[in-house]
Amino acid sequence: MRFTPTELTDAELALQTEVRDFLAAELPPGSHEPCLGMAARKDKEFSRKMAERGWVGMALPKEWGGSDRKAVDRFIVVEEMLRWGAPVGHHWVADRQTGNVILKFGNDEQRERFLPAICRGELGFSIGMSEPDSGSDLASVSTRAERGDGGWIVNGTKIWTSGAHENDWFVCLLRTAPIEDGNKHAGLTQMLIDLRSAGLEISPIPFLDGTHHFNEVTFNDVFVPDENVVGDLGMGWHQNTTEMAYERGGPDRWLSPFSTIEQLLRETDATDMEPALRDLFGEMIARWWGIRNLSLSVARLIDEGEAPSVESSLVKEMGTRYEQDVVEKLVQLVDLEYSPDSSSLFERMLADCVVTFPGNTIRGGTIEILRSVASKGLQGLEV
Amino acid sequence: MAIIGSPYVDELITETADRLFAEVCGHEAVQAAEADGGAPEIWAAFAETGFPWISIDEDAGGSGGSLTDALEVLRVVGYHAAPIPAAETGILGGWLLSSAGHELPEGIVTVVPGVSGDDISMSVAGDAATLSGSASRVPWARAADRIAVLAEVDGSPMVASVAAADCDITPMTNMAGEPRDSVSFEGASAPVAPAGPGVDSESFRFRGALSRVALIAGAIEKMSQLTVTYTNDRVQFGRPVARFQAVQQHLVWAAQDAALVRMAAETAGREAGRGEARFEIAASKLIANQAAARATKACHQAHGAMGMTQEYALHHLSRRLWSWRKEYGSDAEWSGWLGRTVVSQGAEGLYPLVTSGSRAIA
Repeated sequence: MRFTPTELTDAELALQTEVRDFLAAELPPGSHEPCLGMAARKDKEFSRKMAERGWVGMALPKEWGGSDRKAVDRFIVVEEMLRWGAPVGHHWVADRQTGNVILKFGNDEQRERFLPAICRGELGFSIGMSEPDSGSDLASVSTRAERGDGGWIVNGTKIWTSGAHENDWFVCLLRTAPIEDGNKHAGLTQMLIDLRSAGLEISPIPFLDGTHHFNEVTFNDVFVPDENVVGDLGMGWHQNTTEMAYERGGPDRWLSPFSTIEQLLRETDATDMEPALRDLFGEMIARWWGIRNLSLSVARLIDEGEAPSVESSLVKEMGTRYEQDVVEKLVQLVDLEYSPDSSSLFERMLADCVVTFPGNTIRGGTIEILRSVASKGLQGLEV
Repeated sequence: MAIIGSPYVDELITETADRLFAEVCGHEAVQAAEADGGAPEIWAAFAETGFPWISIDEDAGGSGGSLTDALEVLRVVGYHAAPIPAAETGILGGWLLSSAGHELPEGIVTVVPGVSGDDISMSVAGDAATLSGSASRVPWARAADRIAVLAEVDGSPMVASVAAADCDITPMTNMAGEPRDSVSFEGASAPVAPAGPGVDSESFRFRGALSRVALIAGAIEKMSQLTVTYTNDRVQFGRPVARFQAVQQHLVWAAQDAALVRMAAETAGREAGRGEARFEIAASKLIANQAAARATKACHQAHGAMGMTQEYALHHLSRRLWSWRKEYGSDAEWSGWLGRTVVSQGAEGLYPLVTSGSRAIA
């Protein structure tokens, strides 16, 4: 395991400035209600504007509508968007992971069909992994696909499917062959499934505060044509593990409370701040500086052709816990009851953090699973 | 088990220092140094390489090289828990003396870190000073040749090169048994000269903090590696304890802190080598202080009772970490400095500090 410090090049700094200028023009501070990191509003128009700049699917090849940029370039764009609280929800999953999966494991026909539309910021994707009986033990998924005429017939249930009611597609991990000799990792396949397919039912699983993000997606003999199978039959576990690596260690795992902190400073008289709160600002910025340097070095490693799965698990485990620590420390210091319908934007945002952040150490792999991945790496075992 | 080198430093420096300490600075040697109140053999081996004087110009009697190189050596010193005044002789004391044009002695140099209760004053006549007052927590004063004393005289920072032999020294220690002596300067006279450009009590404080960040980074890295090895060797319930999730949590947290502090140390060291790096130093000292607390807790827990014994080497690292954490600025001092700096940038200036550090400070 090695995190090598790195710095942004002049070209990368120019991109950072360009993104900041774009955001200052599109979403001037005080003009919009900032989102909390990647749990961002879906705004197709905003996604389209980002795509116009080449900032959606930017690391994908030009041949397929991308910009041939690097992981570090994407890091810069994502970092600025998230700290600004920009509404990146519509293209988020496609940009972070699905585009990569299709590029890496899909065929040319699938690349042609999906990648340019992803890069235009048009297609919204969900993630089809968890099931009622398969969460952390993902290889135990039992939603099955059986051979049909020219395709596959899918039956089963996926849950915690964020945005299924608004998105267009999802990539599902399905069992295409029964488990043999207890080898759960074999016999799994990834398929692209149209969320509007016949026989596919989407029902909301209301979030604890009553909002609608999660869904249960039920398959009743849903037909998936052969051309929607991603990669080789039976290779789903390997592909899925690779996909998870894209999910981990990026700015989305440590920046969620930033817009709230910034809003607090905007609403507070800096010349008359309680020393304890002022010192907390100092501590928070120091920690963000430290974690950001680690996270940036992971992006650089990816550009150097490495697969830093241990490093990214370590950063995600630390970053998501840090997000919760920040909120807890704020709650300890700020003298208010954080009402969700307060006239103070900061207060509403803090209330949202308190209610939603327990999920930060769960989504995309619980911190317990991440520790298991990271500690295998530390012990030199196969991850 | 070996330390991983910084990309900003010639790997020959890291490897040579690592090899040297692996040879002369094993568990027993560190233990003996604590009992004896010093380790002249380890110092002699270290001094022979010229390492203590890295970053001081050869013209001034130093070994040349950059501040970043010197910090890398300190990281290796921390990694091996080497009981020697490497920071004091080099980037702190050597820096003070050479900045003021004083001759560098052949032996150990130490400095007055500056803790509450110190009351040194100097009266200057020409190029000689007469000192009064006393200072505490002076590292290795008992073994030093010279004590570099930085003091303001008529509003200007001056550096006196005081012969330790002219002082009254009372041996004291830190939690790791390293010398942190009390020194009475009453009546000592010494050559004095104005401090060089950029050298004053504030820059000294930051430099002292940076030295501790490097030491802490090395010590946490070693402690994390020791803990992985120990928990793989130790078998309970029929398997290595590292196979248990509850233990893995400690391994992961210690490794995170090792990575976090090393990254902070290398980044702050890089920026300090270039010039203005106050944000990076303040941030890295706060990070290092907090990480020292968390990582020692995690590593001790993972070691069980064995980590609480003198016969096992963990305590050489953990007791140093608890000490270094409090030297050159506690958590409160640095979060206070950072808080004032950060808040004065305003909301729009907040994130640029995260991405650009000191360069973003108006």
